[in-house]
Amino acid sequence: MKSAISRRRLLGTSAALTFTTALLPRLALGSAPISVGSLTPNTGGGGPFGPNITAAHKLVAEMANAKGGVLGREIALHQENSETNPETAIRAARKLVDVNKVIGVLGTWSSSVTLGIMPLCQEANVIQMCTSSSANIPLKDKKGLVFNFMVLSPIWGDALADLALRRGYKTYSVMALNNDFTKSMVDTFVDKVKAGGAKVSNDPFYYNGGQSSYRAEVSKLIADEPEAVFIPSYVTDFTSVYKELFRQGYEGKVITVSISTGSKFKKVVGAAADGILHGLPAPSLASAAYKDYLKFAGLKDTGAIQHPFGTAGHDQMSVLLLAMASAGTDDVAKVREHIHKISNGPGTAVTNVLDGLAALEAGEEINFSGASSDVDFKSPSGVLKSRDFVLWEIKDGKDVVIETIASAS
Amino acid sequence: MLQVLFNGLVTGAILAPGAIGFTLMFGILRFPNFAIGAYITIGAFAILFFDQVAGWHIALAMLGGIAVTALVVWLTDLVVFRPMRQFPPISLLVVSIALSLILENVIRFIAGNDVRGFDIPLTRPVKLSGLMFTSEQLYLIALAVAAMFAMHAILKFTKLGKAMRATADNFTLAEVRGIDTDKVIAATWLIGGALAGLAGFLAGLDLVIEPLIGWHLTIPVFAAAILGGIGSPYGAMAGAVLVGLAEEMTALWFDPAYKVGVGFVIIAVLLLFRPQGLFGQPEIKK
Repeated sequence: MKSAISRRRLLGTSAALTFTTALLPRLALGSAPISVGSLTPNTGGGGPFGPNITAAHKLVAEMANAKGGVLGREIALHQENSETNPETAIRAARKLVDVNKVIGVLGTWSSSVTLGIMPLCQEANVIQMCTSSSANIPLKDKKGLVFNFMVLSPIWGDALADLALRRGYKTYSVMALNNDFTKSMVDTFVDKVKAGGAKVSNDPFYYNGGQSSYRAEVSKLIADEPEAVFIPSYVTDFTSVYKELFRQGYEGKVITVSISTGSKFKKVVGAAADGILHGLPAPSLASAAYKDYLKFAGLKDTGAIQHPFGTAGHDQMSVLLLAMASAGTDDVAKVREHIHKISNGPGTAVTNVLDGLAALEAGEEINFSGASSDVDFKSPSGVLKSRDFVLWEIKDGKDVVIETIASAS
Repeated sequence: MLQVLFNGLVTGAILAPGAIGFTLMFGILRFPNFAIGAYITIGAFAILFFDQVAGWHIALAMLGGIAVTALVVWLTDLVVFRPMRQFPPISLLVVSIALSLILENVIRFIAGNDVRGFDIPLTRPVKLSGLMFTSEQLYLIALAVAAMFAMHAILKFTKLGKAMRATADNFTLAEVRGIDTDKVIAATWLIGGALAGLAGFLAGLDLVIEPLIGWHLTIPVFAAAILGGIGSPYGAMAGAVLVGLAEEMTALWFDPAYKVGVGFVIIAVLLLFRPQGLFGQPEIKK
């Protein structure tokens, strides 16, 4: 009778196994990879920021895999594009959760996307990590599974209103892109400037992005000739809106969020951008973690803030992987606990995934500080404790820092 | 009120070339080509390329971009629609949506997601007897009107225009009478593409150039074409101005959050009372 396993087949199989183990020296044979989902706004309103977040997730996962993965298992990254659109995001998240069986969905940017996928993530006990500012996010997170690497939008509204009041503007008019991100920001801004003795001359209103014209909205906004207008928005709609403001002859102060006034915006509108006041929670340029990030991402330290959301993507993946390593399991309940533990400390200060994994392997406790912020959460929620908030004014086509304030959530 | 009318006219001028291109293609090819938005995007990016990468004067860049768009649109017929010519309109409609997504993503792959604009400085408005306008807006209206007259002249006074009208009226009869319908179809794609290219330029002047610029105009363009009477180029011109006016007025008197729905409301109401559109001919069924 012919043997089912021939000598030649046995030799061949052994050689193949040897080759495979040589390629993956420290990954435990037979262990399934740990699946992690990355759902980023690679197109749509978040398009200018999503690719940086995607790249940062990939970078950290590859760094960990090169050192043998986490818990001896490879990190399998499954990346999807949310298109900054809740409907697309829900379909993509459904695939990540049901097909890829991910432990977490990282990288959502728009609040409407983060809120949109939350029910299915909560139902499936999947961790969410985001940079979304809607004040509704912690209210809807019933299981404490959402970790937000961005301060909530009332903080933005508060900081920008404070700056506007200090500049002495007495009358304001407000309109905003129609989404969850802007709503609580508008409420806070309006309340604060009114409390400061200023007048909001219009009934703040919301417009939809992706319109064929913003002429009527702008006419409505400046009808009462306010000294300043506040327009929280995304860069795609704000660029069209700002062009229209300029064309309609508005000469008051324009206040907005920095995600709308990046270098591409300035290039499109040219010298007309001068004078815009804007602000954004941003990385601390002096932090070791931020310098690490620049090095890993192959960026030069220009002294200006780079990749405000890519840094958060780096921190999200680092925190998740380090929490799993710290917990010694990929069980979501334990990982959730250890996210708080490794983020808030106490322990050896680490600023990247490699140092963190090495410290944990050496039996130390760690306290992770990220490239985007210190990454300290208000336990038991996943709300960030604080993040620097930077206020700028555009002068001669460049962002000039007015001040940096440590914001509290 | 005068300002609102002028604003509506500017919006209408942006929509008109796309609406004429859309309705022209429908008239000859008998399916609603939803890739019109992607064609507009190609136009905007092609002109942007000639303006900023090649460093051409903006007028030359516009002509170059219009030519490139016409060529690309004609190529989409050769590669995608010609092999499916016998398919029912609903299949072609679905294919056009797929084509739109493919073209949009090719642009995204090549040019990225960033916002861009032509190398034309923004200008402050001129105020005249209570009316406020910029030189850009005057150019924009002038270009749209010129395109309308050119289209009118082609359809009315040229052999090609007559052949196009005959083919649109009755494809089989036109073939029987010796009209080279393949040539008519090719010309339709080229002219439709050129109009989409012009729409890309006008939209790029007024809005911001990004991979979804054409997609955002698709519904208003579609609404304008239906309002005017689908298949009727003159109707599309009028429809574009009416949609522009309706959008401007809605945002002034209602919550602007509902403005995007205006196009749909117009289509729904009009189709209830006049299924053939304002300038369309009712279809005679035998």
